[in-house]
Amino acid sequence: MAEITTQEEQGIVALFPYLDDFCQAVSRVGSDSDFHGHEVLSPTSYHELMALAEERYGPSPVRWFTLVGALSGMCTGFAMPLLMDYDWPIVVGGKSPGIYSLPAYVIFGFELMVLFGALATILGMLVMGRLPNPYGTVYHPRITDDRFAIFVPKVGVESSQAKLLHHLGAAEVFAAAK
Amino acid sequence: MKGSISGINEQILIGTGTKPEKTYYIALAIAVFCLLIGAVAWAIEIIYGMGVTGLNSPVYWGVLITNFVFWVGIGHAGTLISAILFLFRAKWRNSINRSAEAMTVFAVITAGLFPLIHVGRVWLAAYWMMPFPNTNNLWVNFRSPLIWDVFAISTYLTVSLLFWYMGLVPDIAAMRDRVTGFKRLLFGFMSFGWRGTLREWHHYEVGYGFLAALATPLVLSVHSIVSWDFAMSMQPGWHTTIFPPYFVAGAILSGCAMVYSLVLPLRHMFRLEEIIKAEHLEALIKLTLLTSTIVAYAYGVEFFVAWYSGNEFEWAIFQKRATGPYCFYFWVMVFCNCLFPLAFWSKRVRYNQTICFIICLLVNVGMWFERYNIIVSSLVEDFLPSNWGHYEPRLIEIALTVGSFGWFFTWLLIFCRFFPLVSMSEVKLIMPKPLRGDGASAAQKH
Repeated sequence: MAEITTQEEQGIVALFPYLDDFCQAVSRVGSDSDFHGHEVLSPTSYHELMALAEERYGPSPVRWFTLVGALSGMCTGFAMPLLMDYDWPIVVGGKSPGIYSLPAYVIFGFELMVLFGALATILGMLVMGRLPNPYGTVYHPRITDDRFAIFVPKVGVESSQAKLLHHLGAAEVFAAAK
Repeated sequence: MKGSISGINEQILIGTGTKPEKTYYIALAIAVFCLLIGAVAWAIEIIYGMGVTGLNSPVYWGVLITNFVFWVGIGHAGTLISAILFLFRAKWRNSINRSAEAMTVFAVITAGLFPLIHVGRVWLAAYWMMPFPNTNNLWVNFRSPLIWDVFAISTYLTVSLLFWYMGLVPDIAAMRDRVTGFKRLLFGFMSFGWRGTLREWHHYEVGYGFLAALATPLVLSVHSIVSWDFAMSMQPGWHTTIFPPYFVAGAILSGCAMVYSLVLPLRHMFRLEEIIKAEHLEALIKLTLLTSTIVAYAYGVEFFVAWYSGNEFEWAIFQKRATGPYCFYFWVMVFCNCLFPLAFWSKRVRYNQTICFIICLLVNVGMWFERYNIIVSSLVEDFLPSNWGHYEPRLIEIALTVGSFGWFFTWLLIFCRFFPLVSMSEVKLIMPKPLRGDGASAAQKH
């Protein structure tokens, strides 16, 4: 996305080649006030990292998006044919208008539950993940390839934070702007 | 380093960065040619009307609806592999789920064309199929399985598209990081500015799981609803309660066979032999064998119930299927779907990709004939002998069928050329983890 164009918020990026070192580093810097505002980046969703994310962010609220979407879809799926039936009754088998075929409408309730639930889930993934993010910085092309990274804002490569990250297993620490 | 994920992106993106094998261009040229045949056939049908097809009383559903059911079925294995096997944590799916999902999306789009072709006056299709208010406030009949189908297929297409695209997002971000200029801007836009932060992954993984959980009952419902297009009628040969599970099993059988028939040549064209391994393909063959046995059981039960019910019309239809004028289609179906796949019990056969490829192609032929057999052999002879007739597809219908294959393969091949055929972020999860492994670490703790 956006290139490194501004120097407003300088910081450092530490690249880790090993997952175990990286998890240790993420656990270590998580609650440290010297690393306030840091970002953790990974090329994929290893189970170990997802466990750390759960500790850090708690259960994802995406589930509530799904639930609300699915329930509203189900209600819409039943309401739509019922209201349209009310608007223009189709008399079947000589039965008087006002007898609604609920079993047939289960199909619409189910299908719209899935449809709205899926759309709401996508919305939840985007909103909670703070996406779309047109101004996010790509610190290093290998972060989406085979390197793990921690970005620490407002510190330099000679700082104690940089030394600690080196000590924790970072193969490379370089300056970057957010 | 004990294991490595280095080079995965490079290996998978080689097809998108460099020219694929010559066979790719030959396949694309054939697909486009077939597509053009179909386009001309549809144009003729629109200009001259439905009379150019072989459809006439009593058979109003012929090859066109056969194609519809066939292509919907093909899509099912994609969702099975991407959603159901994801929930079961079957790791072998990670190397083939992207191609299976792409197959689903393009197969369902292809299926969606056939009701449009079949209505003849395609410009009125939306008016007939969707609940639009009109001057009389007359709505569609919500008790009709055909309207259920409209909702089921459109939901299935939308959810499959979303599932497929969300899976692509981290990979498009990886592609963005390898290019410059306009391509970088485009891929950045398409990936929503994904960077792979812990926050993004956290919500992404949870959401992906919920999408899989929603897609699982959906895939089972879609072909059940397609089967109700038949089973809800009183037509002998159609009016049977076994249809939903029978259709779903058949759909997954044809889909698995189609995934194999597609993945095998594509992994050669894009040099992915080291990513899509022989054991992944073997697992797919085992799934094909399993569903083949379920389908064989369903064929048997269908016959048994027709006999055991004491319904003479039902039993007459089934006897005629096996011995009457359409028995060729019936026996092709039995041999291709039930007997040839029995060879997969042998491990040697499962690892012989040429034999597996041929049998999978035959299964696809068999599954097409299964739908043709169900539709045509039932419609030609209903309760009244004076209604009975005969149906053979005309050239236009055959051209439309060829065109549907062209349409499907054109989209699939274009997709493979420009986007990763294998999910890069997911395949890394089945590779050995990049561990230093020199003592206790947080990775081992979790």
